[in-house]
Amino acid sequence: MRDIENRKYIITLLFILVAMIFVGRLFYMQVVDDKWKERAAEISENKVVTYPARGIVYDRNKEKIIANEVYYDIRVIPSQAKNTDSVALVKLLDIPMEEYVDKMNKARDYSYIKSSELVRQIPPNEFAEIAPQMYKFPGFFEVARTLRMYPKNTAAHVLGYMNEVSPTDIERMPYYKAGDFIGREGIENKYEEVLRGKRGVKYLLQDAVGVTSGTYEDGRFDTLALQGKNITISLDWELQEYGEKLMQNKLGSIVAIEPKSGEILAMVSAPTYDPNLLVGRRLGENYYNLQEDTLLPLQNRATLSKYPPGSIFKTIMALIGMQEGVITENSSFACQKSLVGCHNHPTAGGVSDAVKMSCNPYFYQVGRRIIQQGKKKSHFADAAIGTDIWADYVKSFGIGTDLHTDFPGVIRGHVPTTEYYNSVYHEYGWAFSTIYSISIGQGEVEVTPLEMANLACIMANRGYYYYPHFIKEIEGGYIPDIYTQRNYTKVDKKYFEPVIDGMWRVVHEPGGTARRARVDSLNICGKTGTAENFKMVNGRREQLVDHSVFMAFAPQDDPQIAIAVYVENSGFGGTWAAPIASLMMENYITGTISDTVKENRILNAVLIKDDVSNIVKPKK
Amino acid sequence: MRESEDRILSNLDWGLMLIYFILVIAGVSNIYSSVYDAEKPGLFNLDTEHGKQIMWFGVSMFLGVIILFLESSFIRKYAYGFYGFTMLLLLVVLFMPAINGAHSWFAIGGFGIQPSEFAKVGVALALARFLGQSKTHLQANRNRAANMGVAELWGVIPFIMKNFETVTILAIPSILVLLQPDAGTFIVFTSFILVLYREGYAGNILLFILIAVFMAIITLLVADDSFMFPFLKIKLSGKTGIVMSLLTLGLIFFLLIKYFVLKRNRRSLYRALFGSLIVAIIFVNFIEVGYSKILQPHQKERIDLFLGKIDDPNGKGYNINRAKAAIGSGGFLGKGYQEATLANASQKHVPMQSTDFIFCTWSEERGFLGSFLLIVIYTTLLIKLVIIAERQRSRFTRIYAYSVAGIIFFHFMINVGMAIGLAPVIGIPLPFFSYGGSSMMAFSILIFILLKLDSERKIVLQ
Repeated sequence: MRDIENRKYIITLLFILVAMIFVGRLFYMQVVDDKWKERAAEISENKVVTYPARGIVYDRNKEKIIANEVYYDIRVIPSQAKNTDSVALVKLLDIPMEEYVDKMNKARDYSYIKSSELVRQIPPNEFAEIAPQMYKFPGFFEVARTLRMYPKNTAAHVLGYMNEVSPTDIERMPYYKAGDFIGREGIENKYEEVLRGKRGVKYLLQDAVGVTSGTYEDGRFDTLALQGKNITISLDWELQEYGEKLMQNKLGSIVAIEPKSGEILAMVSAPTYDPNLLVGRRLGENYYNLQEDTLLPLQNRATLSKYPPGSIFKTIMALIGMQEGVITENSSFACQKSLVGCHNHPTAGGVSDAVKMSCNPYFYQVGRRIIQQGKKKSHFADAAIGTDIWADYVKSFGIGTDLHTDFPGVIRGHVPTTEYYNSVYHEYGWAFSTIYSISIGQGEVEVTPLEMANLACIMANRGYYYYPHFIKEIEGGYIPDIYTQRNYTKVDKKYFEPVIDGMWRVVHEPGGTARRARVDSLNICGKTGTAENFKMVNGRREQLVDHSVFMAFAPQDDPQIAIAVYVENSGFGGTWAAPIASLMMENYITGTISDTVKENRILNAVLIKDDVSNIVKPKK
Repeated sequence: MRESEDRILSNLDWGLMLIYFILVIAGVSNIYSSVYDAEKPGLFNLDTEHGKQIMWFGVSMFLGVIILFLESSFIRKYAYGFYGFTMLLLLVVLFMPAINGAHSWFAIGGFGIQPSEFAKVGVALALARFLGQSKTHLQANRNRAANMGVAELWGVIPFIMKNFETVTILAIPSILVLLQPDAGTFIVFTSFILVLYREGYAGNILLFILIAVFMAIITLLVADDSFMFPFLKIKLSGKTGIVMSLLTLGLIFFLLIKYFVLKRNRRSLYRALFGSLIVAIIFVNFIEVGYSKILQPHQKERIDLFLGKIDDPNGKGYNINRAKAAIGSGGFLGKGYQEATLANASQKHVPMQSTDFIFCTWSEERGFLGSFLLIVIYTTLLIKLVIIAERQRSRFTRIYAYSVAGIIFFHFMINVGMAIGLAPVIGIPLPFFSYGGSSMMAFSILIFILLKLDSERKIVLQ
């Protein structure tokens, strides 16, 4: 019977075997595998995120243009919501009954004892009416949260807006968690990381029903929320608001820059909208309406559109011609209308005259001399060399280049090069005669309103510019060096005077194209332009009424403001763009408007027509 | 009297006594930690679970001292009587109002008494008494064990027929606790297989158990499923599939035997094969019917969770998921005494953390080191019980000691195994550790009876 006696060993072995299995399993669970530690933290710790207040944005005069305001979410704990008078509640909260029923069902499905959101982001003025009634509805309570507000109701395109992060945002930027808000467009977007600060985290112990019962490890792992930084931007909100007023019932844009610093004083895109529309619980609805508007109020025309510069470009042509030595200050060309159409005016006796009178044949000649310098025998090879020389000059004026503006979604203009023309035509298949319209700012040259304003700065500074920018001060931070560096054009300072003289005469002398821009005390220098534009209307590419363009700076000797104004489909530059620019400059420099007739004419003008009536009828 | 007192004390196994005290004290300290309430800091406060546990320990010690002063012959003599008494209690308790869906409790004052805990003592005594005297049966079975070999695989039926009394002793309480219903205690009663094994019954029982567990798991996995029979568009239930597989296997073995086994051996192998097949098919049906018809829905869920058929960490798998999280988060050294964040009465993450899931608190606070130590202590206790059993001249005491070892082993294996996810959730206490008066008293009585019987090992022959 030995084998039966041996069974005691088998039984003992069984005990030891089970013990070993348990020890092995425990070792794996407690020492090797971290899964359960994470799970335990998930269960027992409640990670409470503390949101810092977002940084305030001030304008150049230290006025708050973006502030924070407390909004209220209404939440409900289903287990405490007893005998709710749902009809009264729905009326009080101004939500449809179906939505209420739906949200309550979802809340109950989620948890009886944890709270769920019922209504989000009720503005403080509406909540003031709701708050006194809340006691009637036990289980319903408000949670304050800070949202943006735009106290000046202005500069929507510059300031941008905020909304909830999308799943793709979260994937791209792991900082964000579902439900976070993020700056979209404008300053809110560009300075998102500065403004948002840093979330703090508090680890709290919670029991099985989610009730907090103390801090975890005495707060050893908690981090404090870091307040978002306040920033000051260069915008002058009063100038901005005035610009928006002037541009009401018009399409187009205004960009005003301080030439001495490159600081953007105003950036108007018309039509605009009240930035406060895109805050709070009606954000989605309002955004949809704006997006559906055929006048594209959400589009920032100042940075997202480009047009041929028109006659404004003649200033650059004159400067390049003089720098290249193909003309002098006193070169005179007859107004030979067979070359290119022109209006009736006396012969320009020099650069100043030509700018003042905006003589098309004059600049045709200048353009030909720049492009066809006779460096190669072949007309075509010569034009290829000349075009690149020309393009390099134009780019040195910031056109078609990166202006390093601290703003999201800034597009560049276009400067055609030899390479470009070779791709359009074929190599040696084009010469000045093919591309002559660039000499008068039409054809393939395109500039954005921002580049145009920057050109005004270059004129004001006589040959250099600062990258146009908004940022003036980041609390406790520094402004990037690139905004304090001068960027010189390839044209010497001395060549600017005759052009500027011409620009002064444009405004002040009889026969000048922008007499409407004259403000006696300001010595405004400007240049009008008309930008040809085409659009698909009813499936056909039609030429529409020209955009009215004006570029200016003032005063002549100590420029404080440089400006570019585009008024879409309103015709000649002197008619609408020039007076708008002058009003802006006068308002900025003197703070008053001397000519109220001029002001009222602009304010009352309605220049929005539908595309069909804008089509230019072919001349018979 | 003086003399007998000396004799008792000098012959007591102080090692076993020491392990007992270590476990009880560690258990009380652990309950104190897990349910600690700053408003009731007193260790002996009877409003707290640790206070009550200490009280129950006191009662147990009182019972223990009485037992030590009893005559061993008295214990043997009234073994059946005690068994009968506990069976009566098990019967009567079925007519008590249900608490948590089971008729398991006698509510006496503010306390609940669970007769099934004491029934274990009764069964252990009765089994020891019966097997201890039934030499002829044993002899017969020893011969069987030596002769039958493979045939023992299906030895259940002949075992029942030949050992009707033994089966009856085990069957009565098993059926009564199933009626409560209390699956945990039922499983504990199966621990007596260990005793039977040691006493020479069912030689290949361990192999048998392994095969049975394997088949049971397979059956449970497919019990609710159905599958398409290959090539034919007939939908078959999981059970039918298993039975068909068994029949196919049987056919293969039959052919193997037919062509590769000497003719003279074939007959007995055919018999073994046929018997095994029948037993296996009956077993599969038994498990399937038990699983789908007899088990409560929540018990089915626990089994499904354990087998991984469903995964629901916050719903049905809540208990085990939280328990494992508590243990796993303990780390190597643990979070420290009274520092449990999950297995803690005030946080309530781990349910029943002072009773069925008491191991979680210990493990979370003492870490792997503490868990290891506790397992070593329990294993030491079990080995100690085997040593005590094996040094007895009295068969009664030996069988009794093995019964104690088996009961404690099953409790330990299932309770800890459940907490660490190696066993399905079956609510039975961890001996000496879990909060509960009945189990504290019952386990103490088990140990003290053994201490008493063992102290007389030198003078008792029978």
